[in-house]
Amino acid sequence: MSATASDTLISARDVALSYGAVRALDGVSLDVPRGAILAIVGPNGCGKSTLLRVLAKLADGAQRSGEVVIAGESARDPSSLTRLRAFVPQRPEVSADFTAREVVRLGRHAVGASESAVARALDAVGLAARADLAFHTLSGGERQRVSIARALAQLDDPSKRAESSAVLLLDEPFSGIDPAEVARIVHALRERAARGAVVLSLHEPGLARAIATHALVMRAGKAIAFGPAATTLSAEILTEAYGHPMVESSAWLVPSLSAGGSIRS
Amino acid sequence: MTQRGLIVLVCVIALAAALRVAIGPAAAADGSVHLAFGVASGEILALRTNAALSAGLLGCVLGLSGLALQVLLRNPLASPFVLGISSGAGFGVALVLALAYTLSIPAMAFGGEVAGAVAGALATLAIVAWLGRAREGSDPTTLVLAGVIVGAIFSAGTMLLEQLVPHGLRGDLLSWMAGRLPEIPSRAAFWTLACAAAGGWITLAARAGALDVACLSDDEARSSGVDVRRLRAMLFIVGGTLAAVAVAYAGPIGFVGLVGPHIARRLVGSRHAALVPASALAGAALLVAADAARQAIDLGTGRLPVGVVTALAGGPAFLWLLRNRARSGA
Repeated sequence: MSATASDTLISARDVALSYGAVRALDGVSLDVPRGAILAIVGPNGCGKSTLLRVLAKLADGAQRSGEVVIAGESARDPSSLTRLRAFVPQRPEVSADFTAREVVRLGRHAVGASESAVARALDAVGLAARADLAFHTLSGGERQRVSIARALAQLDDPSKRAESSAVLLLDEPFSGIDPAEVARIVHALRERAARGAVVLSLHEPGLARAIATHALVMRAGKAIAFGPAATTLSAEILTEAYGHPMVESSAWLVPSLSAGGSIRS
Repeated sequence: MTQRGLIVLVCVIALAAALRVAIGPAAAADGSVHLAFGVASGEILALRTNAALSAGLLGCVLGLSGLALQVLLRNPLASPFVLGISSGAGFGVALVLALAYTLSIPAMAFGGEVAGAVAGALATLAIVAWLGRAREGSDPTTLVLAGVIVGAIFSAGTMLLEQLVPHGLRGDLLSWMAGRLPEIPSRAAFWTLACAAAGGWITLAARAGALDVACLSDDEARSSGVDVRRLRAMLFIVGGTLAAVAVAYAGPIGFVGLVGPHIARRLVGSRHAALVPASALAGAALLVAADAARQAIDLGTGRLPVGVVTALAGGPAFLWLLRNRARSGA
Protein backbone atom coordinates (compact mmCIF):
# COMPACT_ATOMS: atom_id res chain seq x y z
CA MET A 1 0.00 0.00 0.00
CA SER A 2 1.44 3.35 -0.96
CA ALA A 3 1.55 6.14 1.60
CA THR A 4 -1.04 8.81 0.87
CA ALA A 5 -1.98 11.87 2.89
CA SER A 6 -4.92 10.10 4.54
CA ASP A 7 -2.61 7.36 5.78
CA THR A 8 -0.70 9.88 7.88
CA LEU A 9 -2.55 10.55 11.13
CA ILE A 10 -0.14 13.05 12.65
CA SER A 11 2.36 15.05 10.68
CA ALA A 12 4.86 17.40 12.33
CA ARG A 13 7.11 19.76 10.36
CA ASP A 14 10.11 21.56 11.85
CA VAL A 15 8.66 21.81 15.31
CA ALA A 16 10.73 23.95 17.67
CA LEU A 17 9.86 25.06 21.16
CA SER A 18 11.65 26.99 23.88
CA TYR A 19 10.99 27.51 27.56
CA GLY A 20 12.61 30.90 27.99
CA ALA A 21 16.24 30.44 26.98
CA VAL A 22 16.01 26.63 27.06
CA ARG A 23 15.49 25.05 23.66
CA ALA A 24 13.38 21.95 24.40
CA LEU A 25 12.65 21.00 20.77
CA ASP A 26 14.86 21.91 17.86
CA GLY A 27 13.36 21.32 14.42
CA VAL A 28 11.69 17.93 14.78
CA SER A 29 9.76 16.46 11.83
CA LEU A 30 7.89 13.17 11.75
CA ASP A 31 4.87 11.36 10.30
CA VAL A 32 2.75 8.92 12.24
CA PRO A 33 1.28 6.42 9.75
CA ARG A 34 -2.08 4.74 10.29
CA GLY A 35 -1.68 1.55 12.31
CA ALA A 36 1.69 2.57 13.76
CA ILE A 37 2.93 2.29 17.30
CA LEU A 38 5.58 5.01 17.37
CA ALA A 39 8.05 4.92 20.24
CA ILE A 40 9.95 8.09 21.16
CA VAL A 41 13.16 7.17 22.98
CA GLY A 42 16.14 9.12 24.23
CA PRO A 43 17.86 10.19 27.45
CA ASN A 44 16.09 12.04 30.28
CA GLY A 45 15.38 15.64 29.40
CA CYS A 46 15.88 15.19 25.64
CA GLY A 47 12.38 16.54 24.88
CA LYS A 48 10.26 13.38 24.68
CA SER A 49 7.46 14.72 26.89
CA THR A 50 7.52 18.12 25.24
CA LEU A 51 7.28 16.54 21.79
CA LEU A 52 4.31 14.41 22.89
CA ARG A 53 2.50 17.48 24.23
CA VAL A 54 3.20 19.34 20.99
CA LEU A 55 1.92 16.41 18.91
CA ALA A 56 -1.24 16.35 21.07
CA LYS A 57 -1.64 20.12 20.55
CA LEU A 58 -1.41 20.78 24.26
CA ALA A 59 1.71 22.97 24.26
CA ASP A 60 0.50 26.25 22.78
CA GLY A 61 1.47 28.27 25.85
CA ALA A 62 5.20 28.23 25.15
CA GLN A 63 7.07 29.90 22.27
CA ARG A 64 6.92 27.52 19.40
CA SER A 65 7.31 27.29 15.67
CA GLY A 66 6.60 24.67 13.06
CA GLU A 67 3.36 22.91 12.26
CA VAL A 68 1.46 19.90 13.55
CA VAL A 69 -1.39 18.42 11.53
CA ILE A 70 -3.69 15.82 13.09
CA ALA A 71 -5.74 13.66 10.70
CA GLY A 72 -5.10 15.98 7.76
CA GLU A 73 -6.40 19.19 9.29
CA SER A 74 -4.25 21.77 11.05
CA ALA A 75 -6.71 24.20 12.62
CA ARG A 76 -9.12 22.37 14.87
CA ASP A 77 -10.98 23.67 17.86
CA PRO A 78 -10.40 21.83 21.14
CA SER A 79 -13.77 20.06 21.12
CA SER A 80 -13.39 18.36 17.73
CA LEU A 81 -9.78 17.49 18.57
CA THR A 82 -11.22 15.41 21.38
CA ARG A 83 -12.33 12.68 18.99
CA LEU A 84 -8.98 12.67 17.15
CA ARG A 85 -6.48 12.33 19.95
CA ALA A 86 -6.20 11.57 23.65
CA PHE A 87 -3.25 12.21 25.93
CA VAL A 88 -2.03 10.29 29.00
CA PRO A 89 0.51 12.22 31.10
CA GLN A 90 3.37 10.67 33.02
CA ARG A 91 1.81 11.51 36.37
CA PRO A 92 -1.99 11.59 36.22
CA GLU A 93 -3.64 13.89 38.73
CA VAL A 94 -7.11 13.89 40.23
CA SER A 95 -7.77 16.60 42.79
CA ALA A 96 -11.30 15.43 43.68
CA ASP A 97 -12.45 12.35 45.51
CA PHE A 98 -13.54 10.35 42.44
CA THR A 99 -13.63 6.57 41.99
CA ALA A 100 -11.64 4.99 39.16
CA ARG A 101 -14.85 4.58 37.16
CA GLU A 102 -15.78 8.25 37.65
CA VAL A 103 -12.34 9.30 36.39
CA VAL A 104 -12.73 7.12 33.29
CA ARG A 105 -16.19 8.64 32.68
CA LEU A 106 -14.54 12.09 32.50
CA GLY A 107 -12.97 10.93 29.22
CA ARG A 108 -16.47 10.91 27.73
CA HIS A 109 -17.18 14.51 28.77
CA ALA A 110 -17.02 16.03 25.28
CA VAL A 111 -17.86 12.97 23.18
CA GLY A 112 -21.07 11.76 24.83
CA ALA A 113 -21.65 9.52 27.85
CA SER A 114 -21.28 5.80 27.18
CA GLU A 115 -21.20 3.30 30.01
CA SER A 116 -20.22 0.53 27.59
CA ALA A 117 -17.16 2.50 26.44
CA VAL A 118 -16.22 3.08 30.09
CA ALA A 119 -16.61 -0.62 30.90
CA ARG A 120 -14.56 -1.68 27.83
CA ALA A 121 -11.77 0.73 28.79
CA LEU A 122 -11.64 -0.45 32.41
CA ASP A 123 -11.55 -4.02 31.16
CA ALA A 124 -8.72 -3.25 28.75
CA VAL A 125 -6.47 -2.04 31.58
CA GLY A 126 -7.54 -4.84 33.95
CA LEU A 127 -9.28 -2.61 36.48
CA ALA A 128 -12.90 -3.74 36.05
CA ALA A 129 -12.89 -5.36 39.49
CA ARG A 130 -11.37 -2.31 41.21
CA ALA A 131 -13.32 0.34 39.32
CA ASP A 132 -15.38 1.52 42.27
CA LEU A 133 -12.46 2.16 44.59
CA ALA A 134 -11.45 5.76 45.23
CA PHE A 135 -8.70 6.91 42.86
CA HIS A 136 -6.64 8.12 45.83
CA THR A 137 -6.56 4.63 47.35
CA LEU A 138 -5.02 3.07 44.21
CA SER A 139 -1.29 2.49 43.74
CA GLY A 140 0.79 4.60 41.37
CA GLY A 141 0.68 1.94 38.65
CA GLU A 142 -3.07 1.55 39.01
CA ARG A 143 -3.58 5.33 38.74
CA GLN A 144 -1.54 5.25 35.55
CA ARG A 145 -3.85 2.51 34.21
CA VAL A 146 -6.94 4.54 35.18
CA SER A 147 -5.61 7.45 33.14
CA ILE A 148 -4.95 5.13 30.18
CA ALA A 149 -8.52 3.83 30.51
CA ARG A 150 -9.83 7.41 30.52
CA ALA A 151 -8.04 8.07 27.24
CA LEU A 152 -9.22 4.76 25.72
CA ALA A 153 -12.81 5.57 26.70
CA GLN A 154 -12.47 9.02 25.12
CA LEU A 155 -11.43 7.57 21.76
CA ASP A 156 -13.91 4.67 21.82
CA ASP A 157 -16.38 5.33 19.03
CA PRO A 158 -18.84 2.43 18.82
CA SER A 159 -20.51 3.83 15.69
CA LYS A 160 -17.37 3.64 13.55
CA ARG A 161 -14.84 1.48 15.28
CA ALA A 162 -13.37 0.22 12.02
CA GLU A 163 -12.49 3.47 10.26
CA SER A 164 -11.39 5.47 13.28
CA SER A 165 -8.37 7.75 12.81
CA ALA A 166 -7.80 8.52 16.46
CA VAL A 167 -4.30 8.74 17.93
CA LEU A 168 -3.51 7.82 21.51
CA LEU A 169 -0.46 9.62 22.95
CA LEU A 170 1.13 8.37 26.18
CA ASP A 171 4.04 9.74 28.20
CA GLU A 172 6.00 6.89 29.85
CA PRO A 173 2.87 4.75 30.25
CA PHE A 174 4.64 1.77 31.82
CA SER A 175 6.36 3.50 34.74
CA GLY A 176 5.30 1.71 37.92
CA ILE A 177 3.34 -1.00 36.13
CA ASP A 178 4.16 -4.68 36.76
CA PRO A 179 5.17 -6.98 33.85
CA ALA A 180 1.84 -8.82 33.56
CA GLU A 181 -0.04 -5.53 33.37
CA VAL A 182 2.51 -4.20 30.87
CA ALA A 183 1.57 -7.14 28.65
CA ARG A 184 -2.13 -6.43 29.09
CA ILE A 185 -1.72 -2.74 28.24
CA VAL A 186 0.48 -3.53 25.24
CA HIS A 187 -2.40 -5.69 24.01
CA ALA A 188 -4.80 -2.74 24.47
CA LEU A 189 -2.40 -0.39 22.66
CA ARG A 190 -2.09 -2.80 19.72
CA GLU A 191 -5.89 -2.88 19.44
CA ARG A 192 -5.93 0.92 19.57
CA ALA A 193 -3.23 1.14 16.89
CA ALA A 194 -5.28 -1.15 14.64
CA ARG A 195 -7.98 1.55 14.65
CA GLY A 196 -5.72 4.60 14.40
CA ALA A 197 -2.25 4.97 15.85
CA VAL A 198 -0.36 5.10 19.13
CA VAL A 199 2.54 7.39 20.03
CA LEU A 200 4.38 6.80 23.28
CA SER A 201 7.57 7.86 24.99
CA LEU A 202 9.64 5.13 26.62
CA HIS A 203 12.88 5.16 28.55
CA GLU A 204 13.39 1.41 28.04
CA PRO A 205 14.69 0.88 24.47
CA GLY A 206 14.28 -2.91 24.72
CA LEU A 207 10.58 -2.55 25.40
CA ALA A 208 10.34 -0.02 22.58
CA ARG A 209 11.86 -2.53 20.18
CA ALA A 210 9.42 -5.23 21.35
CA ILE A 211 6.22 -3.24 20.91
CA ALA A 212 6.81 -0.40 18.44
CA THR A 213 6.46 -0.47 14.67
CA HIS A 214 8.23 2.88 14.29
CA ALA A 215 10.73 4.76 16.41
CA LEU A 216 12.04 8.28 16.85
CA VAL A 217 15.36 8.58 18.65
CA MET A 218 16.02 11.95 20.27
CA ARG A 219 18.94 13.71 21.80
CA ALA A 220 18.99 17.26 23.18
CA GLY A 221 15.74 18.34 21.50
CA LYS A 222 16.71 16.98 18.08
CA ALA A 223 15.55 13.85 16.25
CA ILE A 224 18.68 11.86 15.41
CA ALA A 225 16.85 8.95 13.76
CA PHE A 226 13.32 8.18 12.59
CA GLY A 227 12.03 5.07 10.83
CA PRO A 228 10.95 1.45 11.29
CA ALA A 229 11.60 0.33 14.87
CA ALA A 230 13.72 -2.68 13.92
CA THR A 231 16.39 -0.63 12.13
CA THR A 232 16.08 2.66 14.02
CA LEU A 233 16.52 1.15 17.47
CA SER A 234 19.99 -0.23 16.73
CA ALA A 235 22.76 -0.46 19.29
CA GLU A 236 24.74 2.05 17.25
CA ILE A 237 22.04 4.74 17.11
CA LEU A 238 21.07 4.25 20.76
CA THR A 239 24.73 4.48 21.80
CA GLU A 240 24.84 7.87 20.13
CA ALA A 241 21.56 8.95 21.73
CA TYR A 242 22.41 7.99 25.29
CA GLY A 243 26.13 8.74 25.11
CA HIS A 244 26.74 5.38 26.69
CA PRO A 245 27.63 2.05 25.01
CA MET A 246 24.50 -0.04 24.29
CA VAL A 247 24.84 -3.78 23.61
CA GLU A 248 22.55 -6.60 22.44
CA SER A 249 21.69 -8.94 25.29
CA SER A 250 19.44 -11.88 26.07
CA ALA A 251 20.11 -11.62 29.79
CA TRP A 252 17.06 -9.52 30.67
CA LEU A 253 13.81 -11.19 31.66
CA VAL A 254 10.85 -9.64 29.84
CA PRO A 255 7.10 -10.34 29.87
CA SER A 256 5.72 -12.35 26.97
CA LEU A 257 3.76 -9.87 24.92
CA SER A 258 1.96 -12.42 22.75
CA ALA A 259 -0.15 -13.62 25.68
CA GLY A 260 -1.88 -10.25 25.67
CA GLY A 261 -4.58 -9.66 28.24
CA SER A 262 -5.53 -13.31 28.63
CA ILE A 263 -2.89 -14.26 31.20
CA ARG A 264 -4.74 -13.02 34.21
CA SER A 265 -8.38 -12.37 34.77
CA MET B 1 -26.62 9.57 48.43
CA THR B 2 -26.92 12.75 46.39
CA GLN B 3 -30.61 13.37 46.89
CA ARG B 4 -30.56 12.44 50.54
CA GLY B 5 -27.69 14.88 51.12
CA LEU B 6 -29.58 17.75 49.47
CA ILE B 7 -32.72 16.93 51.47
CA VAL B 8 -30.71 16.92 54.71
CA LEU B 9 -29.34 20.37 53.84
CA VAL B 10 -32.78 21.79 53.07
CA CYS B 11 -34.10 20.42 56.39
CA VAL B 12 -31.20 21.98 58.31
CA ILE B 13 -31.83 25.33 56.61
CA ALA B 14 -35.55 25.15 57.48
CA LEU B 15 -34.77 24.30 61.10
CA ALA B 16 -32.14 27.04 61.43
CA ALA B 17 -34.46 29.60 59.80
CA ALA B 18 -37.29 28.61 62.16
CA LEU B 19 -34.96 29.13 65.13
CA ARG B 20 -33.78 32.47 63.76
CA VAL B 21 -37.36 33.66 63.44
CA ALA B 22 -38.51 32.27 66.81
CA ILE B 23 -35.59 33.40 69.00
CA GLY B 24 -35.75 36.86 70.45
CA PRO B 25 -35.40 38.92 73.59
CA ALA B 26 -38.16 39.38 76.12
CA ALA B 27 -38.16 41.92 78.92
CA ALA B 28 -38.95 40.69 82.41
CA ALA B 29 -40.88 42.75 84.98
CA ASP B 30 -37.64 43.83 86.68
CA GLY B 31 -36.37 45.26 83.40
CA SER B 32 -33.81 42.50 82.66
CA VAL B 33 -33.78 40.92 79.22
CA HIS B 34 -33.93 37.16 78.72
CA LEU B 35 -34.16 34.73 75.85
CA ALA B 36 -37.59 33.81 74.60
CA PHE B 37 -38.98 31.52 71.92
CA GLY B 38 -42.18 32.35 70.23
CA VAL B 39 -44.02 33.43 67.16
CA ALA B 40 -43.41 37.10 66.76
CA SER B 41 -45.88 39.27 64.96
CA GLY B 42 -46.07 42.20 62.65
CA GLU B 43 -42.95 44.22 62.14
CA ILE B 44 -40.72 42.01 64.29
CA LEU B 45 -41.68 38.89 62.33
CA ALA B 46 -40.96 40.69 59.07
CA LEU B 47 -37.58 41.87 60.37
CA ARG B 48 -36.57 38.39 61.50
CA THR B 49 -37.79 36.73 58.31
CA ASN B 50 -35.83 39.22 56.25
CA ALA B 51 -32.76 38.57 58.36
CA ALA B 52 -33.06 34.79 57.88
CA LEU B 53 -33.57 35.26 54.14
CA SER B 54 -30.55 37.51 53.70
CA ALA B 55 -28.41 35.20 55.86
CA GLY B 56 -29.47 32.31 53.62
CA LEU B 57 -28.66 34.18 50.40
CA LEU B 58 -25.33 35.39 51.76
CA GLY B 59 -24.48 31.83 52.82
CA CYS B 60 -25.25 30.61 49.28
CA VAL B 61 -22.97 33.28 47.82
CA LEU B 62 -20.13 32.40 50.20
CA GLY B 63 -20.49 28.63 49.64
CA LEU B 64 -20.47 29.03 45.85
CA SER B 65 -17.54 31.43 45.96
CA GLY B 66 -15.53 28.97 48.07
CA LEU B 67 -16.33 26.11 45.69
CA ALA B 68 -15.33 28.15 42.61
CA LEU B 69 -12.03 29.14 44.23
CA GLN B 70 -11.28 25.57 45.31
CA VAL B 71 -11.70 24.28 41.75
CA LEU B 72 -9.89 27.30 40.26
CA LEU B 73 -6.81 26.87 42.44
CA ARG B 74 -7.15 23.06 42.70
CA ASN B 75 -6.79 23.57 46.39
CA PRO B 76 -9.08 22.38 49.19
CA LEU B 77 -7.94 25.19 51.50
CA ALA B 78 -9.05 27.95 49.13
CA SER B 79 -11.83 30.29 50.22
CA PRO B 80 -12.48 34.05 50.10
CA PHE B 81 -11.41 34.59 53.71
CA VAL B 82 -8.30 32.38 53.79
CA LEU B 83 -6.99 33.79 50.51
CA GLY B 84 -7.29 37.37 51.72
CA ILE B 85 -9.92 38.19 49.07
CA SER B 86 -12.35 39.34 51.75
CA SER B 87 -9.73 41.77 53.09
CA GLY B 88 -8.99 43.01 49.57
CA ALA B 89 -12.68 43.54 48.90
CA GLY B 90 -13.02 45.22 52.29
CA PHE B 91 -10.23 47.64 51.44
CA GLY B 92 -11.98 48.38 48.15
CA VAL B 93 -15.22 49.20 49.96
CA ALA B 94 -13.48 51.30 52.61
CA LEU B 95 -11.62 53.22 49.92
CA VAL B 96 -14.81 53.97 48.04
CA LEU B 97 -16.58 55.09 51.23
CA ALA B 98 -13.65 57.26 52.30
CA LEU B 99 -13.29 58.82 48.86
CA ALA B 100 -17.03 59.45 48.62
CA TYR B 101 -16.89 61.17 52.00
CA THR B 102 -13.76 63.22 51.31
CA LEU B 103 -14.88 64.35 47.87
CA SER B 104 -18.48 64.81 49.06
CA ILE B 105 -19.82 62.48 46.41
CA PRO B 106 -23.39 61.52 47.27
CA ALA B 107 -23.96 57.88 48.23
CA MET B 108 -24.34 55.66 45.16
CA ALA B 109 -26.92 53.29 46.66
CA PHE B 110 -25.02 50.00 46.78
CA GLY B 111 -23.20 50.39 43.47
CA GLY B 112 -20.11 52.13 44.84
CA GLU B 113 -19.54 49.54 47.52
CA VAL B 114 -19.94 46.66 45.04
CA ALA B 115 -17.62 48.26 42.49
CA GLY B 116 -14.96 48.86 45.13
CA ALA B 117 -15.33 45.34 46.51
CA VAL B 118 -15.13 43.66 43.08
CA ALA B 119 -12.01 45.65 42.15
CA GLY B 120 -10.37 44.83 45.50
CA ALA B 121 -11.35 41.15 45.36
CA LEU B 122 -10.18 40.48 41.80
CA ALA B 123 -6.93 42.36 42.37
CA THR B 124 -6.25 40.32 45.52
CA LEU B 125 -7.15 37.04 43.82
CA ALA B 126 -4.82 37.84 40.93
CA ILE B 127 -1.94 38.74 43.27
CA VAL B 128 -2.40 35.69 45.53
CA ALA B 129 -2.84 33.24 42.65
CA TRP B 130 0.29 34.67 41.02
CA LEU B 131 2.32 34.40 44.23
CA GLY B 132 1.13 30.88 44.95
CA ARG B 133 1.41 29.51 41.44
CA ALA B 134 3.22 26.25 40.82
CA ARG B 135 3.88 24.11 37.76
CA GLU B 136 0.57 22.28 38.07
CA GLY B 137 -2.18 24.15 39.88
CA SER B 138 -0.92 25.67 43.08
CA ASP B 139 0.95 24.68 46.19
CA PRO B 140 -1.64 24.76 49.01
CA THR B 141 0.69 26.05 51.70
CA THR B 142 2.32 28.79 49.63
CA LEU B 143 -1.07 29.90 48.40
CA VAL B 144 -2.58 30.15 51.88
CA LEU B 145 0.49 31.93 53.24
CA ALA B 146 0.35 34.39 50.35
CA GLY B 147 -3.36 34.89 51.09
CA VAL B 148 -2.77 35.52 54.79
CA ILE B 149 -0.03 38.07 54.12
CA VAL B 150 -1.81 39.91 51.31
CA GLY B 151 -4.96 39.88 53.45
CA ALA B 152 -3.03 41.37 56.38
CA ILE B 153 -1.66 44.13 54.16
CA PHE B 154 -5.13 45.06 52.92
CA SER B 155 -6.54 44.91 56.47
CA ALA B 156 -3.82 47.30 57.58
CA GLY B 157 -4.71 49.54 54.65
CA THR B 158 -8.34 49.52 55.74
CA MET B 159 -7.36 50.41 59.32
CA LEU B 160 -5.24 53.26 57.99
CA LEU B 161 -8.25 54.55 56.06
CA GLU B 162 -10.29 54.38 59.26
CA GLN B 163 -7.90 56.80 60.93
CA LEU B 164 -8.23 59.21 58.04
CA VAL B 165 -12.01 59.46 58.09
CA PRO B 166 -14.16 61.26 60.67
CA HIS B 167 -15.59 59.56 63.70
CA GLY B 168 -19.05 58.65 62.44
CA LEU B 169 -17.84 56.85 59.38
CA ARG B 170 -15.03 55.23 61.39
CA GLY B 171 -17.53 53.49 63.71
CA ASP B 172 -19.47 52.22 60.70
CA LEU B 173 -16.31 50.87 59.11
CA LEU B 174 -15.14 49.14 62.29
CA SER B 175 -18.41 47.37 62.90
CA TRP B 176 -18.73 46.45 59.24
CA MET B 177 -15.22 44.95 59.20
CA ALA B 178 -16.13 42.41 61.85
CA GLY B 179 -18.68 40.79 59.53
CA ARG B 180 -22.23 41.81 60.35
CA LEU B 181 -25.53 41.09 58.63
CA PRO B 182 -27.33 44.40 58.09
CA GLU B 183 -30.53 44.62 60.14
CA ILE B 184 -32.41 46.46 57.45
CA PRO B 185 -30.57 46.10 54.12
CA SER B 186 -31.33 48.54 51.34
CA ARG B 187 -33.41 47.15 48.48
CA ALA B 188 -30.47 47.61 46.13
CA ALA B 189 -28.15 45.65 48.43
CA PHE B 190 -30.65 42.85 48.95
CA TRP B 191 -31.36 42.41 45.25
CA THR B 192 -27.68 42.57 44.35
CA LEU B 193 -27.12 39.73 46.80
CA ALA B 194 -30.04 37.71 45.44
CA CYS B 195 -28.85 38.18 41.84
CA ALA B 196 -25.30 37.15 42.80
CA ALA B 197 -26.59 33.98 44.45
CA ALA B 198 -28.78 33.05 41.49
CA GLY B 199 -26.21 34.05 38.87
CA GLY B 200 -23.37 32.20 40.56
CA TRP B 201 -25.47 29.09 41.08
CA ILE B 202 -26.65 28.99 37.45
CA THR B 203 -23.22 29.76 35.97
CA LEU B 204 -21.46 27.05 37.98
CA ALA B 205 -24.24 24.47 37.57
CA ALA B 206 -24.20 24.98 33.79
CA ARG B 207 -20.53 23.95 33.68
CA ALA B 208 -20.79 21.13 36.25
CA GLY B 209 -19.43 18.51 33.84
CA ALA B 210 -16.46 20.67 32.88
CA LEU B 211 -15.76 21.35 36.57
CA ASP B 212 -15.49 17.58 37.11
CA VAL B 213 -12.97 17.32 34.25
CA ALA B 214 -11.04 20.31 35.62
CA CYS B 215 -10.13 18.14 38.63
CA LEU B 216 -7.72 16.28 36.31
CA SER B 217 -4.32 17.75 35.41
CA ASP B 218 -4.53 20.56 32.84
CA ASP B 219 -3.16 18.34 30.05
CA GLU B 220 -5.70 15.60 30.77
CA ALA B 221 -8.56 18.08 31.06
CA ARG B 222 -7.65 19.71 27.73
CA SER B 223 -7.20 16.30 26.13
CA SER B 224 -10.72 15.46 27.31
CA GLY B 225 -12.10 18.50 25.51
CA VAL B 226 -12.37 21.17 28.20
CA ASP B 227 -11.03 24.64 27.40
CA VAL B 228 -9.25 24.95 30.73
CA ARG B 229 -8.20 28.55 30.22
CA ARG B 230 -11.75 29.74 29.59
CA LEU B 231 -13.09 27.69 32.48
CA ARG B 232 -10.44 29.19 34.79
CA ALA B 233 -11.37 32.70 33.65
CA MET B 234 -15.01 31.95 34.47
CA LEU B 235 -14.10 30.59 37.92
CA PHE B 236 -11.83 33.57 38.59
CA ILE B 237 -14.62 36.05 37.82
CA VAL B 238 -17.41 34.08 39.55
CA GLY B 239 -15.35 33.22 42.66
CA GLY B 240 -13.98 36.75 43.02
CA THR B 241 -17.22 38.59 42.26
CA LEU B 242 -19.33 36.49 44.63
CA ALA B 243 -16.79 37.02 47.40
CA ALA B 244 -16.85 40.76 46.67
CA VAL B 245 -20.64 41.03 46.76
CA ALA B 246 -20.68 39.14 50.06
CA VAL B 247 -18.14 41.54 51.55
CA ALA B 248 -19.94 44.62 50.26
CA TYR B 249 -23.15 43.29 51.83
CA ALA B 250 -21.96 42.15 55.22
CA GLY B 251 -18.23 42.69 55.60
CA PRO B 252 -15.74 39.84 55.73
CA ILE B 253 -17.42 36.71 57.12
CA GLY B 254 -14.96 33.86 57.51
CA PHE B 255 -15.08 30.09 57.13
CA VAL B 256 -18.52 29.72 55.54
CA GLY B 257 -16.94 29.65 52.06
CA LEU B 258 -14.32 27.20 53.30
CA VAL B 259 -16.40 24.78 55.37
CA GLY B 260 -19.56 24.90 53.21
CA PRO B 261 -18.08 23.04 50.20
CA HIS B 262 -16.38 20.52 52.51
CA ILE B 263 -19.64 19.65 54.25
CA ALA B 264 -21.26 19.44 50.81
CA ARG B 265 -18.60 16.96 49.59
CA ARG B 266 -19.21 14.73 52.60
CA LEU B 267 -22.95 14.75 51.94
CA VAL B 268 -23.16 14.42 48.14
CA GLY B 269 -19.71 13.38 46.89
CA SER B 270 -17.40 15.16 44.46
CA ARG B 271 -19.48 15.36 41.26
CA HIS B 272 -20.24 19.00 40.61
CA ALA B 273 -23.77 18.41 39.35
CA ALA B 274 -24.63 17.78 43.02
CA LEU B 275 -21.76 19.68 44.60
CA VAL B 276 -22.78 23.10 43.22
CA PRO B 277 -26.27 23.11 44.78
CA ALA B 278 -25.01 21.35 47.90
CA SER B 279 -22.25 23.94 48.46
CA ALA B 280 -24.78 26.76 48.13
CA LEU B 281 -27.20 25.07 50.53
CA ALA B 282 -24.48 24.14 53.03
CA GLY B 283 -23.28 27.75 53.04
CA ALA B 284 -26.85 28.92 53.64
CA ALA B 285 -27.40 26.40 56.43
CA LEU B 286 -24.17 27.43 58.16
CA LEU B 287 -24.85 31.15 58.03
CA VAL B 288 -28.53 30.99 59.04
CA ALA B 289 -27.59 28.72 61.96
CA ALA B 290 -24.73 31.04 62.94
CA ASP B 291 -27.07 34.03 62.85
CA ALA B 292 -29.63 32.18 64.99
CA ALA B 293 -26.87 31.41 67.49
CA ARG B 294 -25.76 35.06 67.43
CA GLN B 295 -29.35 36.15 68.09
CA ALA B 296 -29.56 33.78 71.06
CA ILE B 297 -26.24 34.98 72.49
CA ASP B 298 -26.63 38.73 72.18
CA LEU B 299 -30.39 38.67 72.89
CA GLY B 300 -31.26 40.94 70.04
CA THR B 301 -29.06 43.84 71.06
CA GLY B 302 -27.37 43.47 67.67
CA ARG B 303 -23.90 44.18 68.94
CA LEU B 304 -22.35 40.76 68.31
CA PRO B 305 -21.19 40.40 64.68
CA VAL B 306 -22.14 37.12 63.03
CA GLY B 307 -18.54 36.87 61.75
CA VAL B 308 -17.46 36.15 65.31
CA VAL B 309 -19.81 33.16 65.50
CA THR B 310 -18.75 31.75 62.11
CA ALA B 311 -15.08 32.02 63.07
CA LEU B 312 -15.64 30.43 66.49
CA ALA B 313 -17.63 27.54 65.04
CA GLY B 314 -16.21 27.28 61.51
CA GLY B 315 -12.52 27.47 62.43
CA PRO B 316 -12.53 24.37 64.65
CA ALA B 317 -14.89 22.57 62.23
CA PHE B 318 -12.38 23.13 59.46
CA LEU B 319 -9.50 21.91 61.60
CA TRP B 320 -11.51 18.76 62.29
CA LEU B 321 -12.17 18.26 58.56
CA LEU B 322 -8.50 18.80 57.85
CA ARG B 323 -7.47 16.22 60.43
CA ASN B 324 -9.94 13.63 59.10
CA ARG B 325 -8.69 14.28 55.60
CA ALA B 326 -5.07 13.80 56.65
CA ARG B 327 -5.92 10.57 58.47
CA SER B 328 -7.89 9.07 55.58
CA GLY B 329 -4.95 9.92 53.30
CA ALA B 330 -7.21 11.62 50.77
